Amino acid sequence: MPHRIEDLEIRLLLEAIYQKYHYDFRGYSMASIKRRLAHAKDKLACGTISHLQDKVLHDPAIMPEVLEMLTVQVSELFRDPLYFKVIREKVLPHLHTYPSLKVWIAGCSSGEELYSFAILFREEGLEEKTMFYATDINPDALKKAQAGVYGLDRIQLFTENHRKSGGKSSLSEYYTAAYGGAKFDKSLRKRVVFSDHSLVTDQVFAEVHLISCRNVLIYFDKELQNRALGLFKDALVRKGFLGLGSRENLRFSTHAEAFDEFARDEKIYQRRGVL
Amino acid sequence: MPPPRILPQNRRTIKSDLPLAISLSLVVIFFVASGVVSFRNARFLMDDVLRVAHTHEVITALDSVGALMKDAESGQRGYVITGDVRYLEPYTRAQSGIADHITKAETLVQDNSEQLSQFPPLRAHVAAKFSEMEETISLRRTIGYEAARDLVGTDRGKIEMDALRARITEMRDVERGLRRQRVASMQQAYRTTVTSGIVTAALGILLSLFVAILLRRAAGARREQEWLQAGKVGLAAAIVGEQHMDQLCENLLGFLVKYFDAHAAAVFTRAGEEFRRVATYGVPEGSTTPLRFGPGDGLLGEAVTRKELIMIHDVPDGYLTIGSGFGRGNPRHLIIAPAVTDSTANAVIEMGFIHPLDKLSLTLLVEVADQIGVAVKSAIYRENLQELLEETQRQSEELQAQSEELRVSNEELEEQSRAIKESQTRLELQQAELEQTNSQLEEQTQMLEAQRNDLVQAQVTVQAKADELERSSRYKSDFLANMSHELRTPLNSLLILSKLLSDNTDDNLTAEQVNYARTIQSSGNDLLVLINDILDLSKIEAGHMEIHPEPMPLSRLAGDLARVFDPLAKQKGLLLTTHLDGTCPEVMETDRQRLEQILRNLLSNALKFTEKGRVDLAVSKNVEGRMVFAVRDTGIGISEEHQRAVFEAFHQADGTISRRYGGTGLGLSISRELARLLGGAISLESTPGQGSTFTLVLPETFQGQSSPAAPKREIFAPLPQTPANVEPASAVERTRYVPDDREALVSGKRTILVVEDEEFFARALHDMVHELGFQCLVSTSAEDALLTARQYLPNAVLLDVGLPDNSGLTVLDRLKQDIRTRHIPIHVISAGDHSRTAYSLGAVGYLLKPVKREEILDALKQLDARLAEGMRHVLIVEDDEVQRGSLAKLLGSHDVETVAVGTASECLEKLKTTTFDCMVLDLTLPDASGYSLLETLSREHAYSFPPVIVYTGRDLSHEEEQKLRRYSKSIIIKGAKSPERLLDEVTLFLHQVVAELPPEQQKMLKKAHNRDAVLEGRHILIVEDDVRNIYSLTNILEPRGAKLQIARNGREALAALEKTKSDSGTKIDLVLMDVMMPEMDGMTATREIRKEAAWKKLPIIMLTAKAMKNDQERCLEAGANDYMAKPLDVEKLLSLIRVWMPR
Repeated sequence: MPHRIEDLEIRLLLEAIYQKYHYDFRGYSMASIKRRLAHAKDKLACGTISHLQDKVLHDPAIMPEVLEMLTVQVSELFRDPLYFKVIREKVLPHLHTYPSLKVWIAGCSSGEELYSFAILFREEGLEEKTMFYATDINPDALKKAQAGVYGLDRIQLFTENHRKSGGKSSLSEYYTAAYGGAKFDKSLRKRVVFSDHSLVTDQVFAEVHLISCRNVLIYFDKELQNRALGLFKDALVRKGFLGLGSRENLRFSTHAEAFDEFARDEKIYQRRGVL
Repeated sequence: MPPPRILPQNRRTIKSDLPLAISLSLVVIFFVASGVVSFRNARFLMDDVLRVAHTHEVITALDSVGALMKDAESGQRGYVITGDVRYLEPYTRAQSGIADHITKAETLVQDNSEQLSQFPPLRAHVAAKFSEMEETISLRRTIGYEAARDLVGTDRGKIEMDALRARITEMRDVERGLRRQRVASMQQAYRTTVTSGIVTAALGILLSLFVAILLRRAAGARREQEWLQAGKVGLAAAIVGEQHMDQLCENLLGFLVKYFDAHAAAVFTRAGEEFRRVATYGVPEGSTTPLRFGPGDGLLGEAVTRKELIMIHDVPDGYLTIGSGFGRGNPRHLIIAPAVTDSTANAVIEMGFIHPLDKLSLTLLVEVADQIGVAVKSAIYRENLQELLEETQRQSEELQAQSEELRVSNEELEEQSRAIKESQTRLELQQAELEQTNSQLEEQTQMLEAQRNDLVQAQVTVQAKADELERSSRYKSDFLANMSHELRTPLNSLLILSKLLSDNTDDNLTAEQVNYARTIQSSGNDLLVLINDILDLSKIEAGHMEIHPEPMPLSRLAGDLARVFDPLAKQKGLLLTTHLDGTCPEVMETDRQRLEQILRNLLSNALKFTEKGRVDLAVSKNVEGRMVFAVRDTGIGISEEHQRAVFEAFHQADGTISRRYGGTGLGLSISRELARLLGGAISLESTPGQGSTFTLVLPETFQGQSSPAAPKREIFAPLPQTPANVEPASAVERTRYVPDDREALVSGKRTILVVEDEEFFARALHDMVHELGFQCLVSTSAEDALLTARQYLPNAVLLDVGLPDNSGLTVLDRLKQDIRTRHIPIHVISAGDHSRTAYSLGAVGYLLKPVKREEILDALKQLDARLAEGMRHVLIVEDDEVQRGSLAKLLGSHDVETVAVGTASECLEKLKTTTFDCMVLDLTLPDASGYSLLETLSREHAYSFPPVIVYTGRDLSHEEEQKLRRYSKSIIIKGAKSPERLLDEVTLFLHQVVAELPPEQQKMLKKAHNRDAVLEGRHILIVEDDVRNIYSLTNILEPRGAKLQIARNGREALAALEKTKSDSGTKIDLVLMDVMMPEMDGMTATREIRKEAAWKKLPIIMLTAKAMKNDQERCLEAGANDYMAKPLDVEKLLSLIRVWMPR
């Protein structure tokens, strides 16, 4: 029975977090949440999830740490270079036809994807007419994204990815290295709105031309995935683009009908026109 | 794979055809046999006939031999008797022919040896006879009659003749015997033939009957076969394809019920061990049909276990119920058929019948069971496969999630190990450093100790000095206090005494002495003032002046001051005014005494230095929210170089002044210091000879002290959502003053609907419409116009904007939203300029009242011309010739006509004469820019202004885009993918249907028709960066009469509000504030707005995409009055606006 009890504890904890801190993890994939909580339990030296719940409820200071552990914040610049290559070569020609653009990086985490897009758009001469919306539920991650500082040891990988994505300039033009870190040029953030936004509870906030939401849906259960995809559907202009993570797809979603497959392997979809 | 089998139906056909084939071959064999028999019989008969004939011939031949012999004999006898040669003629004939006859007879009996053997004696007899007759004849001839007669008398001839006869008779008898024999055999053969004929006929009939029965049976079998076949084909068609289980079972059931004429049915399919009900037919709600059962449960389970069909007749009542609209009934017969595939039942079909089921149906049911089983099985497989696929997808996602998490922990680990490594090296380094510093520290400690000693010493010295200083300062203060006290005491007596003297009560002083005494008194007074001032100043400088802030009504302050100085002013013949500006709060918080001191000082100075004219005190509030006290006089003024110096202690503008005007010259210094203490400042503007203005600026609330807690902001619970003053659009009673053609409409004749409430004008339009040969309908209200348009579907509409019940633009919009009426061209006539709105809503033309008759006629003709053509027209304005051509080619189609022009003037020329459905515009034109063209079009009404799609080769700045957005909904930048998008947009435009808008927006549009008294003419600032939301808000609020201003971010909102301060023409009653915006978000902007006192009460409603309670609390904390979660609910938003809109 221990599993049953733990499942119950997990559900109670998630409910508690939702009631008290308004972070809604109740629709997240159970397997993932279980692992994350097991990790959190060990790290915070709690014997049981109930103990963790006790801590979470009575010590608000611990919540950011728990949030950090519940949300997986990992990425790299130009992660999956092919994805960015396809965006660069196939999607951007379409976006060139709009006088101004809005791009939504949903679940931007600590900002690697955002900087990738900002650099990509600058290289392709679209930056000046584009407004980026970078959203995440984790305020700490947003702060990191806003700071744009990454470990120097990761830069080598970033540079390699950037090159593979068909980068037209040297990545070093966009950061300054100092004190073991690389700080990305603040001009890249000039046209970015950072905001706390939850795909679980919140609504569409703007009409956008491109949404990139990578490796976020994998943590959601089916219902939540459908909700998030519904938001994307409503937010996109006709013929707008949606990019997902390498293991995510629209095949079984209730919104599959609203999208056309644009680049199958790179998981890029195009919103259907009404006509 | 099993070996290919002959399809059962083929096998069956062959089986059923086999007896038929056999019987048919039997028939053939029979007829062949009976033919052979008949042939043989005929042959026998024929042979017999021939033989009888032959016999007859033989007899005849023999008879003819006999006859010839007789002839010969009689001829011989005749000759003998008569001797006449003529009698010999038969004889000679016989003599010559007899041999032939005998030979003939001989040949005839060739086959009969017995008869043949008779011929030699016969011949001998004949020869003998002839030789006798020869002799006779020759005797007669030669000798004569006697000799001949004698010879005859010898009977030799007679014997021969008799022998001959006997022989012939014998032979004939033989032949006769033969003939008899043959006739008998012939009769026998005939009998045989008849008998066999009868037998054959009987057999034939029997066989035919048999074959007929067989054929009938075969045809029946074939029909059944076809029915079975059709059943299978139909079933196959019903279950073909990759259908979902439910769909499959529905189809299956639908087919079976129809084909078998069943009255109720249900399908159960296997789900693991159990069977689940998937589809039913004719089974009423709440029937007891089980939803699931296991193998062995009841009859259904029994059928599954036994894998065979179960039939039940005369089902008892209540067993199963058939439901229809008329009631329920019970089927009489029941069939439960399991669909078995590979010896597993995958589905069970239960059917109820009112009539019993025939065997054939059962056969079909049994036969298709396999097929159904396969279909169900494959559907189960498909479902499993689908589930597996989804599971795979889920697992793949899960894997990805795990790998993401692994990356995280990896990173964490790496970071930790790096951190550990780093701290290790750092520790080592630190240790070394520590060791080094340790020794350095020791050195330093010693040094420090020395320094500390020095310091302690210095400190002692400093302390001593400080004490000394404090002492001396105290001495100074004490001295000053004492001094003033010491000074005041004698001065006091001096003043009293001089007063007494000047009063001259004893009347013993001369006038001059009294005058001296007054001078002493006045100088004494001056001296006292000077002493007080010095004391004040030293107090302030020593920091001993205390401030006691208190709420102070400004009006009272002004009143008091006026009362104090009024007499003095009157005395000097000056006009003193005090003025409190409207922006002032009623109460300000400061030290009243000190403020009065400053103002008194300023006012007394002003009065002092002003000989004639006026002195004004004006109190107001500046943009920063600070209080401004301005004392303006028309006195001598202060020159620029002296302006700064007047505030210095003991200083007056001119050394001579004190002599003329008196005073210590400390007043302004004290005032300046006091102003500083109160947290403000004094400034001076002056022109010598014209006057001065001293301005004191103070905070509204004293800042030096901690201000009392800000008054708690009330959080208003949203008021009950009253419908406010909105009245529901009452259906306006249709009052028609102008008679029209609606009672006498002729179909086929074109009709124009005139919507105009003014009777005279409506009548004029009516006549003009008639003049041009149209029929005319007249509506005088918006509601009626809509009804009429929908009812009569006129060919065109002339629409007035100012209607009694609703705006004509609403009518336009609603007609364009209605799928039935959206094609009707509408020409708008209006007293106010709404041309852009009208065009953007889809009007084909626009006329501004007052209109000339010709203009209306033109408009009508234009409508007429438009009606004549069903084509869509697209105007292409593009300077590059090649592009122009290619665009025309791209956009043109069978129902889209393109007109391409290269310059702005050509474009204007075209738009003057023709209306277009849509216009594609390049911004760079040889003779004018696209912008100016658009501006011209929107400004001047001589041109039609179709919806514009901007198609441009260069990038647009944000401002340019905003500018263009006013005229164009769609802007396309030329590029690799632009033709695709252009075609898309144009197509969309030309075939725009209501369905294009999302349903919420459609609903919004539908609701947005009633003007709202609370909103009418009110100014709302929409702060929102999303075009789509702006569009919907505009669509909700503008038709209700609200005046809208748009700001795209917080900064623009502040700028817009700031503008309302300076420009009295603008104002804002309410703000709708989005949260997520570039540059400055809604929270910050709201906080900024609340900082300004003037906007403390400005209603702000925040629109947030965030839905959590605390997000909304944050809105209220930032200073919003209320909030609303997106997506926007029209009704709720409107009632929120009504609640907060200031009355």
